[in-house]
Amino acid sequence: MAQTVEFKQTGDLHPALADPATRTLNAGKLTGRWLNTDTETRGVAEITIAQEGGHFRVRVAGAGEGGPVNWPTARARVMANLEEEAGQRAVALAAVFDFGFMKVESYLRVNKGVLVIVAYHTFLDASGRSNYVNREFFHRAD
Amino acid sequence: MEYAQSRDLVRADDGPLDLSAFPGTWVNSNPETSGIARLLMTEENGRLTLQVYAVGPEGLIDWGRVDAEPFTATPASRAGTGFTCVYDFGFAETELQAMLLKGLMVLAQLHRFKDASGRMDYFVREYFALSHGRY
Repeated sequence: MAQTVEFKQTGDLHPALADPATRTLNAGKLTGRWLNTDTETRGVAEITIAQEGGHFRVRVAGAGEGGPVNWPTARARVMANLEEEAGQRAVALAAVFDFGFMKVESYLRVNKGVLVIVAYHTFLDASGRSNYVNREFFHRAD
Repeated sequence: MEYAQSRDLVRADDGPLDLSAFPGTWVNSNPETSGIARLLMTEENGRLTLQVYAVGPEGLIDWGRVDAEPFTATPASRAGTGFTCVYDFGFAETELQAMLLKGLMVLAQLHRFKDASGRMDYFVREYFALSHGRY
């Protein structure tokens, strides 16, 4: 990549970032239905990721007191993930879920067949609950 | 109380967060990184700030200082174990999202380009350890 572009770190100059093939790199590794590896989770029970053209939609079901709690569907931002462990080049997703009383900003990636979600929960109500971060792991349902 | 998952159904007490786990210089565990070399974190009167030094072709690049938003491990906890912040460079914007795990900082970087360079947004995850300066 010619160094006429602006950058803030050397990683901004990686040639793969300008390669159109990078936009769909191993995208199939993320799509599908995923179940939490912890069957007793009190967090996210399952995640479904679907690719619609160049976009991804993320649907989440939280573990609720009386059954699953469906989160608002998020349209995810796709990012190149060029430095995943063991040379696993793929894409990663950034998804934001807006509940009104709470906002969840998350990133999702696949590492050796396991979907990992790291989610930052910000409470916007007056409940006094702390904003918190959580990481959970998922395996394919099918 | 509204909730999105059972974990959020807790009674919480208001009070200051414990941010003692953050201050110091955090150094990338990968000496060959093409990203962030080190972070300097400070806390003053409950305000957490961050200064990033990233690797450039001709040496370190100082990204400047920004405020960081702290996060705990559960909605009932008051101990800070993560943070997020945003750097806006004009031509790009970077969100940093961190978690502390057993003394290690796992830092996710979400880079978004706003210029016409055609570069794809990209994600990086790196590990940082707190420099203790003892030896």
